[in-house]
Amino acid sequence: MKKLTLKTIFALTLTVLLGFGEFLLERQGQAAPVATQSDEPTQFARGAKAWANTCARCHNMRDPKELVDDQWRATIAHMRIRANLTGGEARDILAFLQGVN
Amino acid sequence: MKMTQNRIPGASPFRGSFLAALAVFVLAAAMPALAQDLAQDATRMEELEARTAAIMEELAALRAELELAKKETASVEIETLRTEVAQIAEIAQRAETSTLARDNPISVTHLAGYAAAGYSTTKDGTGSFDVANFNPIFHFQYADRILWESELEIDVGDNGETEVGLEYSTIDIFLNDNFAFVAGKFISPIGQFRQNIHPSWINKAPSAPPGFGHDAAAPAAEVGFQLRGGALVSETSKITYSAYVGNGPVLAVEDGELHGIESGGFTGDADDEKVVGGRFSLLPIPKLEFGLSAAFGDVAIVENDGMEVEDDAARSYDVFGADAAYQWNNFDLRAEYVHQKIGNQALSILPEGGTWKTWYAQGAYKFAQAKWEGVLRYTDYHSPHPEQSQEQVLVGLNYLLTANAVIKLAYEYNDGLNGELTNKDRIMFQIAYGY
Repeated sequence: MKKLTLKTIFALTLTVLLGFGEFLLERQGQAAPVATQSDEPTQFARGAKAWANTCARCHNMRDPKELVDDQWRATIAHMRIRANLTGGEARDILAFLQGVN
Repeated sequence: MKMTQNRIPGASPFRGSFLAALAVFVLAAAMPALAQDLAQDATRMEELEARTAAIMEELAALRAELELAKKETASVEIETLRTEVAQIAEIAQRAETSTLARDNPISVTHLAGYAAAGYSTTKDGTGSFDVANFNPIFHFQYADRILWESELEIDVGDNGETEVGLEYSTIDIFLNDNFAFVAGKFISPIGQFRQNIHPSWINKAPSAPPGFGHDAAAPAAEVGFQLRGGALVSETSKITYSAYVGNGPVLAVEDGELHGIESGGFTGDADDEKVVGGRFSLLPIPKLEFGLSAAFGDVAIVENDGMEVEDDAARSYDVFGADAAYQWNNFDLRAEYVHQKIGNQALSILPEGGTWKTWYAQGAYKFAQAKWEGVLRYTDYHSPHPEQSQEQVLVGLNYLLTANAVIKLAYEYNDGLNGELTNKDRIMFQIAYGY
């Protein structure tokens, strides 16, 4: 059996502790919820601001009318990974895009 | 006895008396009949009055019944209407729920991607239509918890064969607002260009900066696990982070030297040592970002002039990167440095290592209502092999058909080893579309 180095064990342990630890905490309701729709009246405004500040960091601003609601959901989930968006930013931007598309 | 003088002539006194007696007799005879008639009339009147009263009572009763009937009918109609309204409301609710479910179902499938076509010619060479590719990206999202995403890289080679590659394929689990767990083959999180800027509809130039292509100074992809996310530090500042562990790249030897670092992502791990790395960035204000990246681990040679190599001694592998980006008005400014260093290994079939490093700075400016964009980019790429090293200045002009469709025209001033392609200036034309 090939040996695992200390740093590999450390990295895997870190991944498990940080990743699944957070996952379990969230499931127990002790951490912030993941992306769900919110009815906050200010969410739309926050989303517009986050959209303007975040998306143009890498690419041209795409027209919200390009996609329908569920397409924006998948796109924002993709961009949440790619652009390291927080869950809150992702929800706000999604609410904005679904509100104006 | 004497008769009186006022007597009627010709009439006898007896006649008058007779008439009077007759009248009395007639009257006497008629009196009972008259009295009987009067009694009968009175009875009829009473009957009529009684019947009239009865009719009036009956009429009142009928009116009452009619009013009651009207009320009852109205109540039934109102109740019927209420029922119908409730049914319609229920149908509308179901329709709304159905619409919401249709627009926001639990699972979502989405196809995205980008495509490009282009032509290029060197200053002293033959031009060709050298770009014809498309990269479909598949998204399948379950609720807001899991996303599977995969990108294929499909293009036509210069020999006419279609080449298909897996750019990335990951299962992403959103753990909470600040962390996502990513597993599979992912684009290297080192720096910015590889993970965010390289798609043709995003890259403002028709070409990648030298050293940021495959097997050069910037790692391309990795197979392993990754944890990434972001957190707001204040209302205007933010940090982002990515940490990964993966199999790492491999090395290939050609003509007695390390050809390059193959970092396209492998499911095998020849050196049996994992590579650990990541990137941390700070955004003090929303459109200004500074990033630092690093990775370390071991790599090994797996190929020598096309022949498979087994059990070559592992050697050190280190990566360092720094990047910055700033958007201000119509300006987009960015710069990035990255190097990959392969250590020496006396026990290897090729002891000597090497360092591949590159950096670029790019400025772009949109004008004419943001339909046109000028681009200026400088790159300096150093490889252990002089024929790979290149200094380049690119000047470009883009026309944006839409935000995600761009026509690019650029000129590359290239300075490399004499006689090499890296030393030939190039004109490039490209159409790119992101969908």
